[in-house]
Amino acid sequence: MIIIKCPYCGERDQSEFSNGGEAHVVRPNNPESLSDKDWGEYVFFRNNPKGIFYERWVHSHGCKKWFNAVRNTSTDEILKIYKLKEKRPEITEFKNCLKSPSGEPKVGSGNFTVKK
Amino acid sequence: MTALRNHNCNYISNVKINFKFDGKSYFAYEGDTIASALLRNNIRLVGRSFKYHRPRGIYTCGIEEPNALVQIISEHNEPNTRATIKRVYDGMVITSQNRWPSLSYDFGAINNILSPIFSAGFYYKTFMGPKGFWKNIYEPLIRRSAGLGKPPKNFRSKSIHQNHNTDILIIGAGLSGLIAARKFVNTKYKVLMIEQDSFLGGILKNSNKVDTINGLNSSEWLEETEKLLSKAQNIKILRNTLVTTYNFTNHFVALEDKFAGKKIDLNKSELTLHKIRTSNTILCNGHIERFISFRNNDLPGVMLASSFEKYIHRYGVVPEERPVIFTNNSSSMSLLNSMLSLGCKPEAYVDSRKNEEIETDIKKILKENNIPSYFEAEIEGCDGNKKIEKITIRKGKIFIKIKSSMLCVSGGYNPDIHLFTQSKGLLKWDKNIASFKPDTPFQKTLTLGSVSGNYNFNKLCDEINEKLSFLNTAKLDFEIKLNVSNKYSIKELWETKSKINSNWSKSFIDLHNDVTIKDLKQAISEGFDRIEHLKRYTTNSMGTDQGKISSINSLAVVSKLLKKEISEVGTTTYRPPYAPLSFAAIAGRSTYEFYDPQRKTSIHSWHLKNNAVFEDVGQWKRPWYFKTHDKETMHQAVQRESKMLRENSGILDGSTLGKIEIKGRDALEFMNLMYTNAFTKMKPMTSRYAMMLGEDGMIKDDGIICKLSDQHFIATTTSSGAPKVLAHMEEYLQTEWPHLQVYLNSITEQFSTFNISGPKTREIMRKVFPNIDFSNEAFPFMSFKNFDYKDTKIRIMRASFTGELGYEIYISPKYGLELWEEMFSCGREFNLIPYGTETMHLLRAEKGYIVIGQETDGTVTPIDLNYNWMIGKNKKDFIGKRSLSRPDTSREDRKQLVGLSPINKTDTIEEGQHIVELNELPKKIKNPIKYLGHVSSGYYSPNLNHSIGLAMIRGGKNLLGKKFFVTVSGKTKNIPVEVVNPVFVDPENKRLIS
Ligand SMILES: [Zn+2]
Repeated sequence: MIIIKCPYCGERDQSEFSNGGEAHVVRPNNPESLSDKDWGEYVFFRNNPKGIFYERWVHSHGCKKWFNAVRNTSTDEILKIYKLKEKRPEITEFKNCLKSPSGEPKVGSGNFTVKK
Repeated sequence: MTALRNHNCNYISNVKINFKFDGKSYFAYEGDTIASALLRNNIRLVGRSFKYHRPRGIYTCGIEEPNALVQIISEHNEPNTRATIKRVYDGMVITSQNRWPSLSYDFGAINNILSPIFSAGFYYKTFMGPKGFWKNIYEPLIRRSAGLGKPPKNFRSKSIHQNHNTDILIIGAGLSGLIAARKFVNTKYKVLMIEQDSFLGGILKNSNKVDTINGLNSSEWLEETEKLLSKAQNIKILRNTLVTTYNFTNHFVALEDKFAGKKIDLNKSELTLHKIRTSNTILCNGHIERFISFRNNDLPGVMLASSFEKYIHRYGVVPEERPVIFTNNSSSMSLLNSMLSLGCKPEAYVDSRKNEEIETDIKKILKENNIPSYFEAEIEGCDGNKKIEKITIRKGKIFIKIKSSMLCVSGGYNPDIHLFTQSKGLLKWDKNIASFKPDTPFQKTLTLGSVSGNYNFNKLCDEINEKLSFLNTAKLDFEIKLNVSNKYSIKELWETKSKINSNWSKSFIDLHNDVTIKDLKQAISEGFDRIEHLKRYTTNSMGTDQGKISSINSLAVVSKLLKKEISEVGTTTYRPPYAPLSFAAIAGRSTYEFYDPQRKTSIHSWHLKNNAVFEDVGQWKRPWYFKTHDKETMHQAVQRESKMLRENSGILDGSTLGKIEIKGRDALEFMNLMYTNAFTKMKPMTSRYAMMLGEDGMIKDDGIICKLSDQHFIATTTSSGAPKVLAHMEEYLQTEWPHLQVYLNSITEQFSTFNISGPKTREIMRKVFPNIDFSNEAFPFMSFKNFDYKDTKIRIMRASFTGELGYEIYISPKYGLELWEEMFSCGREFNLIPYGTETMHLLRAEKGYIVIGQETDGTVTPIDLNYNWMIGKNKKDFIGKRSLSRPDTSREDRKQLVGLSPINKTDTIEEGQHIVELNELPKKIKNPIKYLGHVSSGYYSPNLNHSIGLAMIRGGKNLLGKKFFVTVSGKTKNIPVEVVNPVFVDPENKRLIS
């Protein structure tokens, strides 16, 4: 359970929010002019990277406002939160964030490894 | 052979209490755990093992216990309770687990002799066939013979949840936790300290290792510290509380036992689940001793050395006067001291280290007290019937047999890294302590004392001062004097070899799940050389104790077998919870009537009085049907209601329908985008049946849209769909079309809504509202008007979901019941009846109207339903429009809505059945049967006097008049049906617009 800072209400528990998937996917202005493939891309396809991810959240059990967040999907760390009208932050801003909780394990289990 | 009392122990009271174990009465002192009380009564055999039903005793003195699990009959049959932590109270009734017919004679023990078939992976290899055997024979058999206690009966938990926000969380109130806490006394930091035991002190109470602290003897220092901490306003201490979970962003879950050592009061909450957020975490949760594998290392009488010592100091019970001690490290000196000070002399001392590696202090004590000592020696194994009788020591090639009933084993200390790794911290192998210790934390986590791998008491204060230096606290300097050597030394030893080969003799690596060293070897030879695979294949460390005393041992054994370093093998993932967490605690108060809120309409009391049977729709309680007398069945009631309505008139409480108000400059444009229909040319004060699609073109919801003006709409939604529809609208308004000036408001609760319909409806309405003109000309279908009614306002809309002449009435809930009763007093002469949702569904099916979630399932477009007329084709755009022309969405052979009529009118078309081409299904199905579609709604129509169905059939639009078959539940003979128009009643809409 992570803490999310709603830009309108402040820090709240994750359970008050809903995730809205990838951010900055703009609905085409004139859907009729799109090919089936392009329209299909818009409706059905989203990125799902390990690492830096721009995504949408809504404070569904609070002010009900939508906003954007940059989250490191491998650590669940929210790196930045910004309002819909604000500019998308450059990815270079987050180049120093952790790759995963403890690096990619060579042996052992999924999410941590043992240092020699 | 018998247990003694340590009268120097002040922590246990002298008040005698009684409890029952397996039907027999025993005594205990207040403060005893079940385990200490049993040991006090010389009970060594307390349970049977999971798989082989081997006799098992008390192995430890804490949360790490793998064997001594019992069932508490006096607490709702609570199973799998660790006897080593559960405290006894007067009148407690306990039984042992996993034995039949009795603990000392257990029939299941035959599994031990059959053990070759229960070896690693046996669940995967055995029981492969024949078909049906798993479900009917193997599984019930395994469930009966393997497993632990039985689940509680008639248990209604009163557990509660509590939230905390704090600056500093200290987990563990042992020596390092207490010193850390003292640094925070009366500082600006808000501190929460959590201790799993009922008392503070940890090592200070578990042993007599610490002599003095700052000149005070350890119990005085503890008293002083407790006073200081309890006076400090900024420090809160939770006792009897176990931290089970360490989540991201320093979020914790901890479980508090409110009735530790007391009989549960059924009127109070027995457990509190604490949910904690903290800025900084200080882990002081100490270490856990590990065992060593040798032949029959599971016999009752084998106990971890420091646990034996804990029983002496914490509970004042010396489990055995003359045990044998077996160690590979220096920690045993403390146990020797403790025993000798009570006049008990170990039968023998076995140390795997070489003479020169063993501390001179230890050698001195052994010599002075004439204790038979064996250095560079090990325990080969032990033998006995349900208890240790004989212990075999091997020194070089010589075997020495000793008679003793207890064996204290120490394989070394492991820092208790569970919580640290849950927090995603990194570990490191430390050769000096031959164990993993915390290295790099991932969150704001500190480790202090033995959990950090520091077993050196002299350096404890320095460590604490240094690690907490980033916080604004004073430096503390306590001089800690010890009774034992300060330096910890250990020599790796994980298993001892044995020449004896029999099915009875086993060397266990996991006591809880009955995994042996042999199983690990076998799994590796079968190719399971990755630790995560190995764990699952052998079930090693997968028990309720999560291998707390043995998992590091298994990593070591595996690394030797694989000829790798332990750090190359790695550990498995430590997952929450740290120890079993009761479902009752997780559920908290969200059970039974508190599980979900119940929503009731303003008419609810009337429904109750009039024998309504309710249906849950979302959180709403809706009348399903009304019983006219006790013996009336649902079928009879629904048939009666449906027939009466089409003859006279019926009224439905529709208050649960979702209602959303859409207002603002751009409301018209917004509605045109949200719904398929075209609203531009629609006249004000008219309404329209409308559909909402997803961007994929599939139907999301439907409802009636009332247009008051271009700037003001009211949308109704399905009863359970209201929040989803509002959220969907809000999302598009905020994210895609923020330039639209539109405001949304949920007004579901602001109105009581009645749907009245039937041929006599107009007469009833005229009587209730004498001043309103209900003629077709003045009040046409799909129009609505606002009126004054008494001292409130009402809105009446001409609409119908039954296919009959109908009106919807909207009124403030305050006046709802009054008007509802007025309608009945006026309607009595016209035989007005109340009806429920089932009749509503039957009548709409007769009329071919669809229900969202019944005809639709998220894969149905308006075109599939023949609702092309609802699509505003001239609109440039609306949500989902583009998808309707995607190749897949415009396929001719999509499932489409049709009606079904049975050819033999006495046949019943069942909802959910398949539509096929075969009149009979083969007894054995070899090839897939061609599937045409499914019955989405099936009812017996009292107005047509036969069964009817709505169905979604592939290419259904072009199949009118075709004959197919519908399957019947539990039978192979299908019923013949004809594909018909889905509108069974009044296809010309004569009744509707009459
Ligand atoms: Zn908010």
